[in-house]
Amino acid sequence: MTDLARTAPLAVPTTRRAGRLRAVLRSPSGVIGLVLVVLLAVAGLLSFTGLLPHDPVAQDPPNRLLSPSGDHLFGTDQFGRDVFSRVAAGVGNSVLISVVAVALATVVGTVGGLVSGFFRGFADTAIGGLTNVLFAFPPLLLALALASVFDRNWFTIAVAIAVVYAPIFVRVTRGPVLSLREIEYVKAATSTGQGRIAILLRHVLPNIGSIVIVQVTLSLSWAVLTEASLSFLGLGAPPPAPSLGSMIFEARTLVEIAPWTMIAPGVTVVLLVVGLNLLGDGLRDALDPRNRGGRAR
Amino acid sequence: MSHRKRIGRGTLATLSGATALSLVLVGCSDSGSSDGAAPTGGGDLVIGVTSDPDTLFPWKATQFQAVNVLQNIYGTLTELDSDMSVVPGLAEEWETSEDGLSLTFHLRSGVTFQDGSAMDSEDVVFSLESIMAEETAAVAAASLAAVESVEAPDETTVVLELASPDASLPANLASVNMAILSSDDTEEELNSQPNGTGPFTFDNRVSSQSVTLVRNEEFWGYPAALASVEFRVIPDESAIVSALQSGNVQMSVFDDPLVAQTAETGEVTVEATAQLSYHALMLNASRGDLADRNVRLAIQCAIDRQEVLDTAALGEGEVTGPITSPAYRSDPQARPCPERDLGQAEQYLADAGLSEVTINAIVSQGEYATSVNEAQNLQAQLAEAGITLELEVLESGAYVDRWVAGDFDAAVALNGGNPDPHGMYGRYFTSDGNLNPVAGYSSPELDDLFARGRAVEDPDERREIYRQISEHLEENAAWIWLFTSYSYTATTSSVQGFTPMPNGSLRFLRTTALTS
Amino acid sequence: MLRTLIHHPVIRRAVASLATLLGVAVFVFVLLRAIPGDQITAALGTEAAALTPQQRSELEAYYGIDQPLVLQFFSWLGNLLTGNLGYSTRSQESVLDLTLAALPITFELAVLAILLALLIGVPLGMLSASRPDSPRDAAGQLVGLAGLSIPAFLLATTLLSVLASSFGFNPNGKAFVPLFEDPALNLQQMLLPSLVLGFGIAAPIMRTTRTAVLEVRSHDFVRTARAKGVGARRLQVRHVLGNALVPIVTMVGLQFGYLLGGAVVVEQVFSVPGIGRQVLLGIQQKDYALVQSTVLVIAAAFVLVNLLTDLAYRLIDPRVRAA
Repeated sequence: MTDLARTAPLAVPTTRRAGRLRAVLRSPSGVIGLVLVVLLAVAGLLSFTGLLPHDPVAQDPPNRLLSPSGDHLFGTDQFGRDVFSRVAAGVGNSVLISVVAVALATVVGTVGGLVSGFFRGFADTAIGGLTNVLFAFPPLLLALALASVFDRNWFTIAVAIAVVYAPIFVRVTRGPVLSLREIEYVKAATSTGQGRIAILLRHVLPNIGSIVIVQVTLSLSWAVLTEASLSFLGLGAPPPAPSLGSMIFEARTLVEIAPWTMIAPGVTVVLLVVGLNLLGDGLRDALDPRNRGGRAR
Repeated sequence: MSHRKRIGRGTLATLSGATALSLVLVGCSDSGSSDGAAPTGGGDLVIGVTSDPDTLFPWKATQFQAVNVLQNIYGTLTELDSDMSVVPGLAEEWETSEDGLSLTFHLRSGVTFQDGSAMDSEDVVFSLESIMAEETAAVAAASLAAVESVEAPDETTVVLELASPDASLPANLASVNMAILSSDDTEEELNSQPNGTGPFTFDNRVSSQSVTLVRNEEFWGYPAALASVEFRVIPDESAIVSALQSGNVQMSVFDDPLVAQTAETGEVTVEATAQLSYHALMLNASRGDLADRNVRLAIQCAIDRQEVLDTAALGEGEVTGPITSPAYRSDPQARPCPERDLGQAEQYLADAGLSEVTINAIVSQGEYATSVNEAQNLQAQLAEAGITLELEVLESGAYVDRWVAGDFDAAVALNGGNPDPHGMYGRYFTSDGNLNPVAGYSSPELDDLFARGRAVEDPDERREIYRQISEHLEENAAWIWLFTSYSYTATTSSVQGFTPMPNGSLRFLRTTALTS
Repeated sequence: MLRTLIHHPVIRRAVASLATLLGVAVFVFVLLRAIPGDQITAALGTEAAALTPQQRSELEAYYGIDQPLVLQFFSWLGNLLTGNLGYSTRSQESVLDLTLAALPITFELAVLAILLALLIGVPLGMLSASRPDSPRDAAGQLVGLAGLSIPAFLLATTLLSVLASSFGFNPNGKAFVPLFEDPALNLQQMLLPSLVLGFGIAAPIMRTTRTAVLEVRSHDFVRTARAKGVGARRLQVRHVLGNALVPIVTMVGLQFGYLLGGAVVVEQVFSVPGIGRQVLLGIQQKDYALVQSTVLVIAAAFVLVNLLTDLAYRLIDPRVRAA
């Protein structure tokens, strides 16, 4: 729920590609994060392959509200649906929506930031203005309104979340691009008559990669939270598609008679966000020279 | 989220035993007016609601919360008792002429509005004429379609001249949408300061937080026992449960049996009441394959209603035919394929010359909780009969848009009931009914039956006519009627004398008291 | 003269802010009308099907949606300029009154949440930074991580139901009272919501503090101070925290602006009649005037808070002041 969105790392880092992953793996938090995210993502992926122990949407009223057992690891809900399978499918949907949302936001936002910072002029003014407008709009309410506009499915939810986060990428990339533009070798490239697009792709884009990557991992955890909050407010992907947020919403009435219906999705969403945050921290430590500096001393 | 969110998300069987009995417990049936045992006590009742009224103007109120509040402020010519029979309200008695074309109401004398002015026949004429006038955009205008003129021969008499007999009028006049307003008031004034003749007077409203009513000492009937009633907005149902348990709220009505069950602990008791509203798969008989009666009958035969009820609402409800009003209730067994019959369904499809059918169904999300589960179960059952039900799950605004435009093959719907069967279906299934484009089905036989049902006064004769209407609707599978469900009234032990009603009305707040 | 005035940073900033608000106005106007359904169907539901064409047009006129969109937009904007935020079609009250009632509540909630967050976040951040990569640091970071990762709605519903059912503690079940009417009850009602929000914001504040403290400590003047024998506590508070204040203030400003519209879930769960809930309800009810004007007020508050943060920044940071 917190919005770090507006804190953009401003440094222009020079990155060494080699050893990035190793650097992430060196920090214990990065390892824990990676393990959590991979484990949950695998569980989520199962839901798309049909390998889950039960069909996450199939109802089985005679077996409703069973407590956890060998057959139903996390018990069953009020319709006799297997909570484990639903949690796994919920993670799958959550990750799918978040990844697509962040991918969209990254592409649109980074392109916006590049164009804005590199070409300046009218494009900069227009993109900057739009970014300001989106920033001034309360984020959750923006996603909520956008999610109400279209027929609701996982993709439109992803788009709604993407609109909220794209401006962050504009902000985060524009500054570094501005400074890069003034750096000697970029100027030199310009004077040798290389096309501006070519310069952008060859010299500017690679240099903002690490900033974008760090931002992506941070945004992923926010996107997961935003998606869950939207579902909680009844504006997520429509049922019966399982979603961690709507599972928690539904479980509130059950919490006293069947606490597992609340605990399972609740703990899972926390673990997922923890994993993404740790991974993001690990990445940032590995990629951001400022932080590395901070730590070293 | 609030609008007509009437039915719960699922159910536990533990409650179902209590439900059938609730209608028997009705105590005082004379509108709490004169001879009912007056409850003693008093106190300030707090009712937990998820949303506040969207309007305070009774002629335009359709939202459940608004109706509940306004009903306690305003008076109507007739009223409905807890068994849905019509009892006197502002009119002490009424009679219909021989030819059925003239309806005379004798008003109670000495009734005053809450601002102190007297209520007389002039106000009734003003109210009914305004409701009929198109520019008022009153939601009940169509119920007065048969009325040609409203006259007031003297201060306590009102005569309605009708173009055709209409036996459903007395019941229709009991709706708060037919509230009698003072001819001195305007919509604008009433929106901020309601002024009615009901048992409670509007006290104040804090937008999206609360509406408070106080006892109307000048009420024509027995004054209410409660000193005040506060409708307190707690948007989250489980937060209402918490408030009930901590005693901050003494009463609340839930649709969701699970919520009701969570609430039922210690001091809090829950009563289930069968509702008039019904769950149905509406078919649009004017579109595509559904125009063929055989296709509709195939759907009729391919569905096990009890299974829909069990899966979607965990059995909390009753399988129903078209008419849900207790006095006219359709026999759910009197229909083609009362039990699921896939062989018969196949036969009907073959008669239609089709081996497979695809139907698009709109489903609302958020309007009421069981919709998507119902739709899924219907889809699964129909698939076994070679009928593909394609589900289009829509946000409630989009669903209402499509529903209103009649733009669907089929619609998974929860429709409101009406104590009078003509009021319930006349608007849907007569060829000139204002909802006929949405209902998608009409026939000359039905038109004729509805016209007769309206003209006849004798209860037995009426019952027979509506049995035939019900039969005609089922035999032609105009829609697929599924089940009715319950509403759950949770009260703390200090609340005495409240009777829940099948239309969800809080009319009996006037007989409710709080013991300390 | 005029030219220099136009290019004065404050003027430029003000003009840009106005442009942003205009953008928000256009955006919210269009967005609302893109949501399926209108005020009539929102008010009447499926009963809207029973309206005759004349009744429908009467209602359209009543809600003012019979006018061309452009006209609707400019009449709204024109009214805004005269201080008329319009009227809620739902409650018939002026949006200005509704907002004046709701905004202070969310404002109070945000202030309390920020205070709690500072109380948790700053000491925790300093504790973490006092010995990086120690168990102490890990513990501090873990708390921060929890704040960052536990969704507000999960924490809120759990707290509410557990406290109410197990301890009968549920001040939010009582009718909401404004701060100046009954401060004791009001603060009880604000306790849980601000705790939930504060816990969430404590995380970024803790992290900012930690990073800032680490960074400041590495600066020469701190080393100099230490070399001069300034006491450890005094060093920590005066020099280190004093200089780490800039990023912390920035973070607080950001979070505060965000909270004005971002408390909606918590307001919903704890029935706090704040501004976020006002918008949520308005969206559901298609209460156009209410949503439009309220969102604009939130945006204006956000822009203003940003502006103030900037000013605070200039006051605290000598380098910026000099520039």
